[in-house]
Amino acid sequence: MERELCLSVCVIQLWMESATRKLQGDTRAASLLQLKGEGGGLVVLLHDAASRETRKRSSERPAHRGDRGIIIMSAIRKQLSFQILLLFISCRNINTKTLGATAPPLDPTAPLQKLERSYVLKGDSHTEKVELLNPVSLVLMCTWTGSQNKPTNITGFWSKDGKEIENSRVTVQLENKQYNLKRTFSIASEADLGSYSCDFGGEAKINFVLAVPQMGDERDKPIVSYLGDSVVVPCKLDDSKPTPNTWNWYRANETGKEQIIAGQKFSIKNDEKKTKLVIHDLTADDSGLYYCGAVYGVGITMGRVELKVISFFEPLKPFIAILVEVIILVAAILLYEKSRSKKDYTAAGNGATDQTNTLSSGENNGPEESSSMRQRKV
Amino acid sequence: MPPAAASNLGYTPPDGGWGWAVVFGAFISIGFSYAFPKSLTIYFKEIQEYFDVSYSEIAWVSSVMLASMYAGGPVSSILVNRYGSRPVVMVGGVMVCTAMVLASFGTTIIHLYLCIGVIGGFGLAFNLQPALTIIGTYFHVKRPMANGLAMTGSPVVLSTLAPLNQFLFDSFGWRGSFLILGSIVLNCCVAGSLMRPVNKNASPEPKAEASECNGAAVEETAGTPSANLLTEENQSGSKSPGCMDKFIDFSLFKHRGFLIYLVGNVVMFFGFFAPVVFLAPYAKHLGIDEYSAAFLLSIFALVDMFIRPATGLIGNTKLIRPRIQYFFSFAVSYNGLCHLLCPLADGYVGLVVYAVFLGLAFGMVSALLFEVLMDLVGAHRFSSAVGLVTIIECGPVLLGPPLSGALVDIFGDYKYLYYACGVFMLVPGIFFFIMHYFNYKRLDEEQRQAEAVDMRTSYHSCEEAVELKTGRDDKTVPETEG
Repeated sequence: MERELCLSVCVIQLWMESATRKLQGDTRAASLLQLKGEGGGLVVLLHDAASRETRKRSSERPAHRGDRGIIIMSAIRKQLSFQILLLFISCRNINTKTLGATAPPLDPTAPLQKLERSYVLKGDSHTEKVELLNPVSLVLMCTWTGSQNKPTNITGFWSKDGKEIENSRVTVQLENKQYNLKRTFSIASEADLGSYSCDFGGEAKINFVLAVPQMGDERDKPIVSYLGDSVVVPCKLDDSKPTPNTWNWYRANETGKEQIIAGQKFSIKNDEKKTKLVIHDLTADDSGLYYCGAVYGVGITMGRVELKVISFFEPLKPFIAILVEVIILVAAILLYEKSRSKKDYTAAGNGATDQTNTLSSGENNGPEESSSMRQRKV
Repeated sequence: MPPAAASNLGYTPPDGGWGWAVVFGAFISIGFSYAFPKSLTIYFKEIQEYFDVSYSEIAWVSSVMLASMYAGGPVSSILVNRYGSRPVVMVGGVMVCTAMVLASFGTTIIHLYLCIGVIGGFGLAFNLQPALTIIGTYFHVKRPMANGLAMTGSPVVLSTLAPLNQFLFDSFGWRGSFLILGSIVLNCCVAGSLMRPVNKNASPEPKAEASECNGAAVEETAGTPSANLLTEENQSGSKSPGCMDKFIDFSLFKHRGFLIYLVGNVVMFFGFFAPVVFLAPYAKHLGIDEYSAAFLLSIFALVDMFIRPATGLIGNTKLIRPRIQYFFSFAVSYNGLCHLLCPLADGYVGLVVYAVFLGLAFGMVSALLFEVLMDLVGAHRFSSAVGLVTIIECGPVLLGPPLSGALVDIFGDYKYLYYACGVFMLVPGIFFFIMHYFNYKRLDEEQRQAEAVDMRTSYHSCEEAVELKTGRDDKTVPETEG
């Protein structure tokens, strides 16, 4: 953050210089300002500033002062060079934060996008979610309508993740029956995300939770697959969330997460808001937790999927159990039938008179069947 | 036209006793036939990703299964006519089991189409037809009740299979689940073993259509109360004169009642299933969240479950039974009215009310669907009739939901879908009312004529027992069968 601050200061300084240059009617000096090394990004910046100057100037009446201008110009140029040198030295000593290996490095040539978030608090606390994709220069504005007694001055301060930010204590005046707190934050990497709070004298607090877009509903049940088979592990972002830059997959091991590289065993298919990890030739070791990470400019959002690899004997056990049950039932029903029909056969086989009797009784009692008997009336 | 089919049966159906066990068996068979294709959709998402195919390709599995189930109707009828219900159901159960086991080892989506779709579909067809047929042989007086109870199998098995499938999927993934589902479906064999062929030891009638083929002894012995305990159900009545129709009874196409039923049903099925399929999407379209939309379907299934036996009971009453065709026409028209009024329902409460009425209507029609066919053609020709009906209905059943979906896509509004479905059901309903009014009149006339003829012939033959029997049967159940 200090680096950005430094750079901003540089920019402001140089703007002021080129503005004075404009008054002296000289554009070339502006274009001569060059910083090398780490501040090299400013070249574009300054060229931009210069070109803007040129454009503005073309609409104005050029007024060259001639000799006097040249003398003044050289003096100012020296002053400028000295200032630039000072800034260069101070800027160079600032360490750029080591960004995580997974997030893309901050592009120093692009200016930070400006973003504003504000909230008017009427009660005593509120939490606001702020979704961030890329590094931004974030301006947070807190407004509080105050409590019953409205003192003219209260102390307000900012804190990040519960810890008070240094030098953020200010005295807040009551204007239009409201207290205002405003601060600019530079959010460049994952470490800058978190919960930022503005606190009004310990009485009222507004939390801004800065985060990357979160993964949608996660599947809490494990994906089940079989040894030797292949499996597709999917990960999906909600349609309402913005498309990430890319997707990464990680495998959980003892020491945290380890990134998966596509190869023979793993293949990764990315498709904007969806990603699939295909694992071939599953073994028992492949069971465990897998993480998909949607990579945004400012951080990575993680989704979690669990994989369980079982052998084919697992479902075979219930299969055989039910098969046995079916066979037993079918055999029981058929045997019952056979035994009943045998009874009828032996009963009916004793003479013709019995036949007619069983006939009439058969009609009344419902079906008593024989599967293989035929009786013909003599 | 042939006389009342009561006399065609040649025996008195038990109407109870082992019949209730048969109803339970039919309950399971019919339940699996209708509910199994629907319940497989839980696995589709995972299979779709595994094989890397689009959603429509995966949905084909269900469609192929349903198509095979309907197309297998005639084959099933032929087999039932030849061998009886029990072997066919058991073979069907084994077929579906094999299909699921093979599918669990599947390596491509074509594999699934063939196994689950074709083999599984045929196996289910071998379950459905015989189950319906055997009820007709066991019941006559209480037949609407038995039919209603048996058709209740569909919603009950669906409500059981849905959470079970989810549980299996979470525990075993799709391959293991298919394996276990194969064994669960094998319970259809148990249901089949319950379907003991009914014994026909009653005195036979002189039949107008005597068959020369496949000698069943009954019709030969004109009038003698023979003590034949026959095993097969394929009585002479199922065959018309001519050996050609030994397998399937094409003379049904000349049958007035059958034609009315067929024409009406073909139109009706275009709009029968679509409202149920689109209920949840319609609810989501109106802004209702997913869980409440799913709850609507549960309400629908619950009402359906209870209304089917109730309809059977009502159909059995003395008032309705003789004119059961009117009851069916009413049910169909009521369905149509429900759909036409649906767009008026707004908000969640309106949709809940609609789901209740839809469940009522759907259940009523389902319970009576096969009962009226039995009523029209008689238990003997029912097996062929149902085979022919299912294969012809195959078209509307498969085309209905996609056409309705196209309507929704074109107009972007669901109300046109409901209007179309409403019309598709109201028109057949009114058609049924009108046609059956005429049909009943004709049948009553024919009945009177047949009775007169019988009275005359009884003087000429020495079959006093037959005459008594004719007189008895005709008076017990005043029913209409043509």
